[in-house]
Amino acid sequence: MSFANRIRALTYLITAVPLGTLGAVVILVGWTLTPLLAITPAVVPVLIGFRAAIGWVAGVEASLAHSLLGVRVSPRTRTRSRPGFWGQALDIVADGEFAKQQVFSLFRFAFGGLLAIAEVSLIGAAVAAIAMPVYYSSSHPDVNGWHVDTLWKALVYVPAGVVVLALALYLLRPLAASSQWLARRLLDSPDGAITRSSDQAGRTPSVMSTSLPEATRLARRQALAIHTVVYVAVNALLIVIWAATTRGYFWPAWPLIALFLPLSIHAWVQAVDEQPALIRRGQTRAFAIHEGVFASFALFYVFLWLASGGGYFWPLWPIIGLALILLGHRILIAVRQRQGELEERIGVLEDTRAEAVDQQEDELRRIERNLHDGAQARLVALGMSLGMAEQKLKADPEAALALIEDAQRGAREALEELRDLARGIHPPVLTDRGLAAALATLTDRNPLDVELDVDLLERPPAVVETAAYFVVAEALANATKHSGATRVEITVHRRDGSLEVEVIDDGHGGANPSGTGLKGLARRVRALDGTLEITSPAGGPTVLRAELPCES
Amino acid sequence: MRVVIAEDLALLRDGLVRLLRDNGFEVVAAVQDGDSLVETIAEERPEIAIVDIRLPPTFRDEGLRAALEARRRIPETAILIVSQYVEHTYANELLADGRGGIGYLLKDRIMDVDEFVEAVRRVANGGTALDPEVVSQLLSRRRANGPLEHLTPREREVLSLMAEGRSNAGIAKELVLTVGAVEKHVANILSKLRLPPSEDDHRRVLAVVTYLRGERD
Repeated sequence: MSFANRIRALTYLITAVPLGTLGAVVILVGWTLTPLLAITPAVVPVLIGFRAAIGWVAGVEASLAHSLLGVRVSPRTRTRSRPGFWGQALDIVADGEFAKQQVFSLFRFAFGGLLAIAEVSLIGAAVAAIAMPVYYSSSHPDVNGWHVDTLWKALVYVPAGVVVLALALYLLRPLAASSQWLARRLLDSPDGAITRSSDQAGRTPSVMSTSLPEATRLARRQALAIHTVVYVAVNALLIVIWAATTRGYFWPAWPLIALFLPLSIHAWVQAVDEQPALIRRGQTRAFAIHEGVFASFALFYVFLWLASGGGYFWPLWPIIGLALILLGHRILIAVRQRQGELEERIGVLEDTRAEAVDQQEDELRRIERNLHDGAQARLVALGMSLGMAEQKLKADPEAALALIEDAQRGAREALEELRDLARGIHPPVLTDRGLAAALATLTDRNPLDVELDVDLLERPPAVVETAAYFVVAEALANATKHSGATRVEITVHRRDGSLEVEVIDDGHGGANPSGTGLKGLARRVRALDGTLEITSPAGGPTVLRAELPCES
Repeated sequence: MRVVIAEDLALLRDGLVRLLRDNGFEVVAAVQDGDSLVETIAEERPEIAIVDIRLPPTFRDEGLRAALEARRRIPETAILIVSQYVEHTYANELLADGRGGIGYLLKDRIMDVDEFVEAVRRVANGGTALDPEVVSQLLSRRRANGPLEHLTPREREVLSLMAEGRSNAGIAKELVLTVGAVEKHVANILSKLRLPPSEDDHRRVLAVVTYLRGERD
């Protein structure tokens, strides 16, 4: 065992003092409160808190054991409990891991702390003895009745100190080994990793309530029925006793009220699980239960106030306090939801940004290839014609003229190609005159029978216009080239803050949405947070519908 | 003949100036943007302004707007718009005032110098020059079974050239026909389309273009 490891083991022992104490205090408080509150519903949150605190301590212990002792243990820091208010409490009490973690904490408190103190004292004493020659002259310490006043006497302590230090360091080894054993025995849980999956399950509460097995559902209904019967029976009995005896002060009111609280909470929890509609949209099951618990407590206080003869309406204050907690819960849910929404949004933005970048890259490559194979090549040919014409100008003017005419034709063709390319990048008329004019031009160039219906009062943002234009252009090109259509209907109109574009052709269908053209289109649309739907059953018709959000 | 040019690209501006001077035009000014075009036309009173549709600062249809504005102020100015692209929408806007002296050509046409110079003269003299591309856009969509379907291919050729603003003599030269033959074709076309005969070339263009626009679905 290396010196560094011994130092780590010593550090681990010392951590027993704060952590052991903390664990012991939690256990003391937990087991004091639990029996005290056992018949009230407040016992459930207390137990949950108790469990969480012990789980937290166990988690810290596990990470310490890992970093200082090198043992990998994964404690289960929360109890897997069945749904239901009381069920949680029972499951916590019955949780073996919970018990083991408490025992571990107690061990740490009782023995770990003591051992740490012993080790530290031993080392301290040894160091003090070794250093005796340095400081004896200033303090003249008395050790076991021996007055150290000369250097010789002081020097005698040095070997003793060395022996004690060696012993202390040697002892660290078995202490570390037993600590490791203890941690493995008590902290490690075979299903420690379950924490994470149960976390996830906790986020989808509505699914849980609807997926309860039928047997459980039945058992829970019976439990509620028994609870109700017991409540009625106990109170009936008490009222009978009251009626049979004093008939003075109506003391059964107190148990009536006190026992009403757990019953109402129980009934509410049952109701929430039976009727998922009680969990409002965007809320969790826990919050729905919290609302019921809040209402039950409010009623409980009001009843207490009534039973105690009214007077100053003190229930106002606890009700305000509970309402604040409820509000806090509500805010917490909203914050988490907002966070979830933001995360989702970030995911979408990351995806669409990557797609937009890819799309742009593809587009640039396409343009480059077009220029290279088209206009550039034509200009080279044109230059060659002019070069030859120059050569022949004097000797053979006729041939030179023909070459110049060739060159002119080449220039015209190059211009035409460039014009087509430019239109494919961004049609000028779209910028100048808007979507309706651009689409009119587009459909004019198309040989099919195209019906164009553009209904726009004002121009949408430029990016939306461009996307809409290319949606129509691509759909029209597909209809012309592949679908065998004779007629195309195009409608473009505004609806609820988005631009709707629809292209329907009467072709034979079977368009492939993962083809380059349509895929590029989908990327373009998604980059604007829009949607693109393509339905193209074999035999047709092909319907392409894009919705592009545009806030005006 | 006095000409003002509006073109922002120096290469094209200088080339155009040289080409026009070589062909006997007097280029009184060459400007680079729409505002100075309007001012220059007001000052110089040229017979024709040759204008690039896309000019600074917007690089949209600045030239077209400036030309129309100049024509509103000094109505006798003829306008020839040249552009890298043609759209029949713009042609409609140019023809909207119903008067002659309007041209709209692709820059490509400048390469055929003789024809271009002829077009400039025609427009300056109150005629019309519409790019064949515009005409083909107008002709590209026609109602099935409409009167246009009943034209012979030759008649359709003549109709296109009429729409471009050519005179009967010009059409005859282009199609290698006699003027008499062209006149016969024109008469046939006008009667098939039920358009009134007109001596004025520009009126004829307007009638044909209006007809073609109406014929579009």
